Amino acid sequence: MSRQMGRVVSSILERHFGEIVQKVGDDLFSYGGRPIGMLVRHTGLPRNQVVDSLRTLLKFDLATFEPYNDVVVDYKLLPENVLLMIRYPRYLLQMKSKYGSEAEMLVEELLQQATCTATTLLFNIATKFKDDKEKNITILGLKDMFISLVTAGYIQQAPVAELKEGSEIPTLIPVATIVPDLDSRALLQAMNNGHINDIKDNIYWRVNYDRFHLDFRDEIMIKAITRRIDENAGELMRFLLEKMYLTSAPWAPESSPLCAVELRERCRSAATDKPLLHQFVDQYLKVLEENGAGFVRRVGDAGSGQFAVRARHAALQLVLAALEHCVTERLGSKAARIFRLIYTKKYIEEDDIQKNAMLVNKECKQLTYKLMEEHFISVQPMRKPASAGGLAKAIYLYHVKLHTVAYTGLEMCYRSLHNVLRRAAHERSAHARLVDKQRRVRTIVHGMRLRGEPQRNIDDVEETLTPPEQAVLQGVEKRLKQLSTAELELDRNLFIFKWYFMYPYVE
Amino acid sequence: MAGRGRGRGGSNLSLTHDQLQALGIARGENTPQNVAPPPLFPKLEVKPLPLPSDAATDYMLIVKEQFIEYLHESPAYVRKEAESDGIERYSDKYKMLALNAKKDKVLDCVWANMPPELRPQAKKVRKAAAAGPKPKLSNAEAIAKRLQTLEKKEIQEGDEAMETNDNEETVNNQEVNDDEEVEDEHEEEFEIDDGTDYANNYFDNGEDYDEEDDNLDDGPVY
Repeated sequence: MSRQMGRVVSSILERHFGEIVQKVGDDLFSYGGRPIGMLVRHTGLPRNQVVDSLRTLLKFDLATFEPYNDVVVDYKLLPENVLLMIRYPRYLLQMKSKYGSEAEMLVEELLQQATCTATTLLFNIATKFKDDKEKNITILGLKDMFISLVTAGYIQQAPVAELKEGSEIPTLIPVATIVPDLDSRALLQAMNNGHINDIKDNIYWRVNYDRFHLDFRDEIMIKAITRRIDENAGELMRFLLEKMYLTSAPWAPESSPLCAVELRERCRSAATDKPLLHQFVDQYLKVLEENGAGFVRRVGDAGSGQFAVRARHAALQLVLAALEHCVTERLGSKAARIFRLIYTKKYIEEDDIQKNAMLVNKECKQLTYKLMEEHFISVQPMRKPASAGGLAKAIYLYHVKLHTVAYTGLEMCYRSLHNVLRRAAHERSAHARLVDKQRRVRTIVHGMRLRGEPQRNIDDVEETLTPPEQAVLQGVEKRLKQLSTAELELDRNLFIFKWYFMYPYVE
Repeated sequence: MAGRGRGRGGSNLSLTHDQLQALGIARGENTPQNVAPPPLFPKLEVKPLPLPSDAATDYMLIVKEQFIEYLHESPAYVRKEAESDGIERYSDKYKMLALNAKKDKVLDCVWANMPPELRPQAKKVRKAAAAGPKPKLSNAEAIAKRLQTLEKKEIQEGDEAMETNDNEETVNNQEVNDDEEVEDEHEEEFEIDDGTDYANNYFDNGEDYDEEDDNLDDGPVY
């Protein structure tokens, strides 16, 4: 809940929902819970616009409300959920690559609707693609996919409103997800009739972000091991994670012990794909344990070895890697060397840094101070008691407070994310007229093509965009694409930091 | 050397030579103080790493654009009230049409999950309540005006009554009243007035032909 975060949240709201929602969001962010009257007064917006904004925020689960008393309701922004909005494309990519395009459509529609009944969801998608013979989408296929997504936990039941006695303000209570039993015949009937008025369905669904995040976490861990050791080791990590889900809580800092025998069996069943893994399971386990950045720990020897997956430690290692990367890119590899050295030595004196890092005295000092200036390292003075010589000398010990530094990294992410969003908005508004013109020309040309007008006329219309204008447009397009990609990349880093902060801090 | 403390020798440096040396700054290397503020956009010393450009990224970019476009078209995107600079333009009509088409849509929410003040019917109630006092106010004004004119009339009539007889008075009274009403409507709504003119009964059955004659004979009414 920092200022940088507030700025990012504000830009995201502006990008997705426009200035008015942004204003309301800003006010909610800076003052916490607020009733509607205060919002109207402080933002200076008309009441109906504030109402509309709050509806939008509540619908997309970007804000919550709680009754202050029987009449007044306090609204509260959920900045974490606002930040998730830039992750939506990643969710869809995940769906598409894991379950195919039907699942992607379901999740996309559900993200757009925020909350929706299963019937409406299926019906909407099926009608949208009714005429599309290529994709061959049937409502029954969608239904099966929906049920499998619910079973896998990607879609969950939305909280249900409950009215307390004597109050008109509902309270949202999360409910356990029950796999729905959808009536295929009724759905087919609805498709034939073209409306869904006959089906009574009042169970609402929404996307379960947490399930996606688990997927992302697993992917990061597997990828890290693959890059560090090899593909077989990555596969072994995947098996370990699979087993972990069966015995411990998905976000557990450290899983309960997993038996090597089971792992060996799992590898045998995958022997056709990975013969080497099957052959050298024990060796791979050993390598993973010794050289796997501490992702896996041997906890016992019973049953030919027991292993635990250390998700918390993995997060720590990844954050450390991300920070080190940050230092390298900002201050160069020599500074990164100093940073690494200080982290491994825990507490170190200035002279020792110089000796161990093997750098020139002056340069080493400069870089150390630079690191301190950017809050990557901190210093701890140790006062010695006055010695006989009368010269009381203090020792300065340098060290890395990882938790604090991780916050610095997170703030840097927020800051650059805000910069990117801001820059893109500027780019868009500066060339709004041209982009608009381009869009208009495109629609006209499209219409002409459909009507089958001669190519000469089409060319005439296309030429209304002069070559210099085209050049400018291309430049804008390229820059916007770059900024958009940067946004997605920053979100990846943000994910690692958030994962690290998920576990409570221990000294 | 030993014991040379801070502020000796008239130098305005806050660090002694030893301390400076400990910090890694040799004699004569003390850079002059920079008074100018740092640049707003500092130059990048290292070229940033290239961003990934693969099919997955392209896919995500397209999906993102689509999603944002969808939101912008949906009623979730709250628009400003249409402002005008007081100049009427030909294109206004089309702009307003486009705006109104978007405006009429209400965000599709699960209303049961919303606080009552955000539900659509709550808005209507509010509107009605807001509309309630307004006519009253104008009514009060109208009433006051009406009373005033009536008062004036009464004084006038009082004078007239001294001159004319009872029979004439009633007729005059009616005429004046009618005039007054027509005038009132003139002031308030010009267009409706045309309608009321037609509605007025101009049919003369000739019954009071004689009376009018008498009136003229009697002399000026006013």
